[in-house]
Amino acid sequence: METFVQVLIDGMLNGMVYALVAAGLCLIWGVMDVINFAHGEYLMVAMYVSYWLGFLLKVDPLLSVVAAGVFIFILGAVTYQLIIRYTIGRPGLVALLATFGLAVFLKNLCMNWFSPNFLILSDTWLGDKTLQLGNIIFPVPQLVAALLALVVIGLIYAMINTTRFGWAIQATALDRDAAELMGINTERIYLVIFGIGGACVGIAGGIMPSYLAVHPEVGSMFGLIAFVCVAMGGFGSIPGAFLAGLLVGSVEALAGFYIAPVFKYIAVFGLYLTVVFLRPKGIFGW
Amino acid sequence: MKHRSPRLKSWILFMAVIGMLLGFGPGAGSLLAAEKIIKIGTIFPLTGPVATAGQRCQAAVQTAVEIINNKHPEIKVPLAKQEGILNGYKIVLVHADSQGKADVGKAEAERLLNQEGVWALIGSYNSSVSKPASFVAERMKKIFMCGSSSSAALTQRDMKYFFRLAPTDATESVDFVEVLKWVNKKKKGSVKTIGVIYENSEFGKHAAEEAKKAAEAGGFKVITDVPFTPGATNLDSEVQTLKKANPDAVLGAVLGADYSLWVRTMKKANWKPRIIINYCSGYQDPVITKQLGADADFFMGSSGYSPQFASLMPAVAAVEKIFMTKTNGVPFDGNSIQEAVAMLVLAQAIEKAGSLDTEKVVKTLYENTWDSPLSLGGKVAFAKGGQNIKAQSIVTQLQRGEYRRIYPEKMADGKIVFPMKPWDKK
Amino acid sequence: MQHKGIHKKDAYWLGFIALLTMLPMVPAVTANSFHMHVVILILLFASMSQAWNIIGGYCGQVSFGHSVFFGIGAYGAGMAVVTYGGMPWPGILIGVVLAAVVAVVISYPCFKLSGHYFAIATFAIVEIFHRTFLVWDWVGGALGLDYPLVKEGLTNLMWYDTKTGYYYCALVLFLLIFGTVRWLEGHRFGYYMRAVREGQETAESLGVNSTVVKLAAIALSAALTALCGAFFAQYNLRVDTPMVMSLDMSMKFVLITVLGGSGTLVGPLLGAAVLIPLQEYTRAFWGGMGGGVDLIIFGLLIILMVVKQPAGMIGIFYAVRKRILKRNIAAKGESADGAP
Repeated sequence: METFVQVLIDGMLNGMVYALVAAGLCLIWGVMDVINFAHGEYLMVAMYVSYWLGFLLKVDPLLSVVAAGVFIFILGAVTYQLIIRYTIGRPGLVALLATFGLAVFLKNLCMNWFSPNFLILSDTWLGDKTLQLGNIIFPVPQLVAALLALVVIGLIYAMINTTRFGWAIQATALDRDAAELMGINTERIYLVIFGIGGACVGIAGGIMPSYLAVHPEVGSMFGLIAFVCVAMGGFGSIPGAFLAGLLVGSVEALAGFYIAPVFKYIAVFGLYLTVVFLRPKGIFGW
Repeated sequence: MKHRSPRLKSWILFMAVIGMLLGFGPGAGSLLAAEKIIKIGTIFPLTGPVATAGQRCQAAVQTAVEIINNKHPEIKVPLAKQEGILNGYKIVLVHADSQGKADVGKAEAERLLNQEGVWALIGSYNSSVSKPASFVAERMKKIFMCGSSSSAALTQRDMKYFFRLAPTDATESVDFVEVLKWVNKKKKGSVKTIGVIYENSEFGKHAAEEAKKAAEAGGFKVITDVPFTPGATNLDSEVQTLKKANPDAVLGAVLGADYSLWVRTMKKANWKPRIIINYCSGYQDPVITKQLGADADFFMGSSGYSPQFASLMPAVAAVEKIFMTKTNGVPFDGNSIQEAVAMLVLAQAIEKAGSLDTEKVVKTLYENTWDSPLSLGGKVAFAKGGQNIKAQSIVTQLQRGEYRRIYPEKMADGKIVFPMKPWDKK
Repeated sequence: MQHKGIHKKDAYWLGFIALLTMLPMVPAVTANSFHMHVVILILLFASMSQAWNIIGGYCGQVSFGHSVFFGIGAYGAGMAVVTYGGMPWPGILIGVVLAAVVAVVISYPCFKLSGHYFAIATFAIVEIFHRTFLVWDWVGGALGLDYPLVKEGLTNLMWYDTKTGYYYCALVLFLLIFGTVRWLEGHRFGYYMRAVREGQETAESLGVNSTVVKLAAIALSAALTALCGAFFAQYNLRVDTPMVMSLDMSMKFVLITVLGGSGTLVGPLLGAAVLIPLQEYTRAFWGGMGGGVDLIIFGLLIILMVVKQPAGMIGIFYAVRKRILKRNIAAKGESADGAP
């Protein structure tokens, strides 16, 4: 029983981080119908930002989160201006392939600049600390990352549902032309959405160096899982992505422990198929 | 409508650039053939998940070539004192990137041999790439020197032109079991059960199979077998599986970033077996102690080289100085140094054979025992199939960030810490 | 507009193929086996992408799952040779049939999904197959299958010293797959597929059973893809999962077709003719420098191509052709009809 709880908690903590990574993707996908294939690479870039701030300026990842978020916001906005803008209104594949090119570009650029070596920040505030409740171990860095995920996802959800800007986003997502007629500058909405989507993953990447090594390939698997979370949760639904992230994290951990570790991703992808075969539009899709 | 639209114009320009790429394709370099040079091709994974190792291997071969081509009286390595080989021939390297993929490695091997006209190949780190790439070389009757691929299958193919320097995972596994027996006897260790953790790739799978074979032959019981996906986002369930089975000893084949994740996840789960021994892998990466600090301590593994072996291998220091200028100060590790040895032994064989006739050089390679100050034990000799039978490795343990030689005892310079100290006691 | 005899468009194709048949007789190409390698890869990847084009382009179901079928074909050939020590042919046949069966079985539930849900589902299927094959010892697991040295020739479908044999095999593959698609274009089934792409409901209302059409299309597409996979295994003399059954491989099918122009006959060829040389020559030039310079450039060029010409290379092809036609027409002093 104790082991079960431990495995589940590890899984849920990872799941929260998946949810934060997925939330950014979800936002972009829901509003613009664009699949950003470079999402995992954004995460990798954010981790580098946080690592170098920590290594050169001795800033703790807990503080670098802000800088990483801002940096990826800008990266997202630039991506939109230079690439995505030209693919809006084209078949969905076009944006996907353009961002695939971007992913290859970013991954290898980082490898070229920072070498393929994996980098670890030692002596961070949170690094390697654990909380013990009975026999259950809570790793502090993952716990803080999960709380951060909760806060950020909550803020985004609140922004979309309660602010004027959020309503404008919703209007744009529903019908771009109608929103344009209502006087909403949809071009700017898109730009900001791409930025905010980036900022989410930037925040996730900002905190991660306190427990994970940074290297050019680090984002790939996170990116893939984020796709699954978003689609599982339902197209453009932030609560859906959050729930899916938790589910994916738990299933991954439980299947990995109770069946066999090599089956953990098979179980995750199997879970996605099961969910969409039962509910073709995802958990919260309509 | 005579004028062209700007978009079309830029496209025509773009296509022209591609056309130029095609037109002046590889092969243009062979114009230099008239000079006294020997072209040697290298194929390493310079990009992709194991690019770190691949780039270091490439730097090692470059280092060896620098020693061969120039006068280095301060270096006590064969061919260092003279300039070039065969009375003034210089070695020119042509590098290629396998991306860690078998099909790419094979295509690059063909290109290097056919288009670049290289005389021999050195590579390819990944066993899965070395296999098809050396197959190409064998068909063309060209020498393939393999430094660090460890799959035992490579030298069981009865190839004539294939030579491998590193010890195989089969011999390493036998060594590890010897260590466990030795610990049981010496320290009354009572190690009975073994767990195996490995990345699920050609390298890891092969190592694990050899480990299980050797363990059973040695009378140990393998109670858990944990393959994992390289590049996973976490290793929580893997470590929990190990923790639950709680074996006395763990044998690991874990590379690069996965290694640090594994160590930190074990720390997080607050679990350690009594002893951990690693295949040539993440454990012997020279940056690991810098990255993991005290957490890396008390792990064990086999190494063909580490900077702390200086007293055993005095010639390495001067060579390493050149190597470190190419790697931003990272010293040799057990893999990369084997690639340098591969290059040096090949050059020595050419010099001794006195010609560039491949058949003669192959014959010379087989017939002689080579002086190799960069190898542990100082000698290299090849058996049929191309395995270096003088290949040795020492089982080391990390203690306070230094690799202490533990086994075999006659080469030891430290005492084993057994069982490993728990995470909270340093 | 159906003419008796040969269509003008087909005449161009036949001429082009005749040229391709002669290619190995040009010493400048054959002497340089790397150029030959690139040409073979172009033919292979054009064929693969054309096979994808049947379901992805003509039928409008964007699948990222084709490396599963490709892998099944490759494993069929590989296991026949390596595991059972025989000729590859029976393995290829089994692989092709099996791929079609697997395609129908996994696609049946997936076709109920729309748009991105379908795309991600195919992603998931690739990952499931990839990881299952990696731990499945009967198919070689993580160790992969390495071909032994056997007699070269058509019986074993293996050549070592020259690539001419492989070249003609690739050409046959190319002819078969492009021929099939060309035939489909004019056949009733081709119209059904395009009807389904344009709108499932409309197609249904016209009496087209969209599920049957899609299943038939994916079965055909998968079988042809498996054939390409078998060739790929025979060409590289090794099969392992990361090589043949990965998302990377799946992306190539889509990338090439979309770059060339999806849903067109010539698109996959254009895409492969641009992307494959780009990939191979940038690697040959800059790969050895390390640091992934070739991939940085590769990534940038993909972005540039997609952004500048979202309709694919076919867009340029048409633009150029229109210009030439216009010039011809102008020279003849006739008025252009219908051209904007």
